[in-house]
Amino acid sequence: MSARDKLQSWVNAGRKVVHEGDAKALLGDLGIPVPERDPTEGPLVVKLCHDDFPHKSDHGLVKLNVSPQDAPAIAAEMSARVPGGVPLVEAMEKNSVAEWIVGCKIDATFGPIVLAGPGGVLVELLDAGEIRLAPATPETASQMLGSGAGAKLLAGMRGAPAADSAALADLISKISVFFAEHADLISEIEVNPVMVRADGAGLVAADALIILREDTQT
Amino acid sequence: MTETPPDSPQNTRPSLSDALHTLFDPKNVAVVGASRTKGKLGQALLELLKKNNYRGKVIPVNPSGGEIEGLKVAKSLSEIDEPIDVAVISTPVEIALDALEECARIGVKVVVGVTSGFNEAGEDGTENEARLQRILKTAPFRLIGPNCEGVVRPRSDLQLTFSPMFDGLDDGPVAMISQSGALAGLMALRLGERGVGLSAIVSSGNETDITAADLMEHFGEDPVTRVILCYLEELRDGRRFAEVAKKLTDAGKHVVVVKGGRSGAGTRAVQSHTGAMAGDDRVVSSIFREVGVIRARDSVSAVDATIALATGRKPAGRRVAIISVTGGLGVEMTDMAETEGFEVPVLADKTQKALSEYVPYYGSVTNPVDLTGVVLANPSYVGRCLEAVLDDPGIDIAIAIITFVPNQTFVEALAEAYKKTNKPVLIIWTGASRSAASGDAFRENGVPLYDSPARAASGLAALRGAGEVQ
Repeated sequence: MSARDKLQSWVNAGRKVVHEGDAKALLGDLGIPVPERDPTEGPLVVKLCHDDFPHKSDHGLVKLNVSPQDAPAIAAEMSARVPGGVPLVEAMEKNSVAEWIVGCKIDATFGPIVLAGPGGVLVELLDAGEIRLAPATPETASQMLGSGAGAKLLAGMRGAPAADSAALADLISKISVFFAEHADLISEIEVNPVMVRADGAGLVAADALIILREDTQT
Repeated sequence: MTETPPDSPQNTRPSLSDALHTLFDPKNVAVVGASRTKGKLGQALLELLKKNNYRGKVIPVNPSGGEIEGLKVAKSLSEIDEPIDVAVISTPVEIALDALEECARIGVKVVVGVTSGFNEAGEDGTENEARLQRILKTAPFRLIGPNCEGVVRPRSDLQLTFSPMFDGLDDGPVAMISQSGALAGLMALRLGERGVGLSAIVSSGNETDITAADLMEHFGEDPVTRVILCYLEELRDGRRFAEVAKKLTDAGKHVVVVKGGRSGAGTRAVQSHTGAMAGDDRVVSSIFREVGVIRARDSVSAVDATIALATGRKPAGRRVAIISVTGGLGVEMTDMAETEGFEVPVLADKTQKALSEYVPYYGSVTNPVDLTGVVLANPSYVGRCLEAVLDDPGIDIAIAIITFVPNQTFVEALAEAYKKTNKPVLIIWTGASRSAASGDAFRENGVPLYDSPARAASGLAALRGAGEVQ
């Protein structure tokens, strides 16, 4: 099934928020690195994905540093608490040097736009997203990373290694192109955090969310 | 140039480009709602057309017929036996809608709708708006407005407005698009007072048909126009506006925008961080920056920015020399220049030596240069000092600060120094009204003139990025 068909089928099924499990599977199909699922070695992350609970940790639906032996029981416990949820067991990223947010939305004035900035807990602390029109070329994405408060973080502060900005720029551009091409079906897409590894080592999309447009059922 | 595609096969609407060329240089203008009664918009319109020596034919339209201002009045548009380029409508809305239908029947090329009472009137305007939309669907004409103050084109001596704020303006490098007529009036008057001419002013009103992006694209093709100055409350087609602005700024033109209503950020609940972080106003600022639009915080600073850009001079870098007849103003200007991301570097030895001929030992020749009160007694010195700092290869921009001026030579000498260079120069004259000298030499030569460091800083900030790739 093409990404477009998949999105349309979700819209037709009446979904508004597409949970992390499905969102990341879609991103994976686009060639965006996502964590390995159900690995045999730890540490692991166990999450329960449900369209109605996009902010999982607020509901105790994320558990970090889990061993492969313990994972099934934890997943079962979460599933029992939230019926209809889909458990997700993934490799836990340990080598990242920066966490980034990459998001797209439809602006009422300018149409599709893309935002990128320091992610994870820094989203609320710094609120330093750079915004451009989507789709953004890889060059534009590079400029976004070179300006604003985030540039220093990526360069590596106080002896920390520099992050893989090239891989991050590529991801920003890719997501912005995907969003602009599917903006008739998606109103927002957000990857937060993107776990960016040291320069040359790539990155992984640790969490993702897709919000569908509500007026496009066919 | 992208044209708005016709809505229907039988549509004979002129292309945007044709329509705007006609609008800015019409062979004739029909004034619907022309009146003899002082205080009526239709009276003011006729008077201003005449007063500004419009060369084409003016046809007043009023059902009572007769003559107004020595012109034969047509009882209706249909009675006019020649093709009409432009009809301006300033009647009450019910009559205006009838007139618009008549314009459609007889094939007027462009209509300027001064009349209010459409969607800007909220619920009261709903029916009128619906009728306007129906007319526009098949109309052969293009529409400016409605709910606007009109159109001014000094190059064609054309004043299609009831507002006297645009009287007697000269042609020049600034085109203005304003969704508020009053803001357009304020900015045009201030530009004119400082010797900056206008290639066109369009009060675009509701932009029901022709939008700011359409107008901006048209002005981008005018070789005289260097700066497009906009006051906008609502970007009707933001995406196209951004794309057109990028095309223009890439081509070396400048777009300065005051975006009103910035406090009206969206209040809907957001499910994602992206939604929360990309608030309406932040998006506007970001996208403007991306496409090279200079966002001014208000109409006055927009004028101050525009004046600096209108000269067409682009700095090679960000190194500023400041010369001042007083230490204090030089210090204030230095602080502001540095806040705006400029450098105020120490001048070259050769420059300092040249300045030392004119500056006494208790002044300063490093930068900012303190000329001291001695120059007041030697009116040509200030011009020579300005020339000296402009000759410094380490300087990209010069700012000269004067207070009260005891002698006309003072002004002339600065204007001469301005003419001898291609580098941007800003003049700050804090005491023009307390000076025994006229500023005409500044105005006639298009010298950017400010009354204070704060306002010059708006001009300086606009030059940042005017010549460099951001």
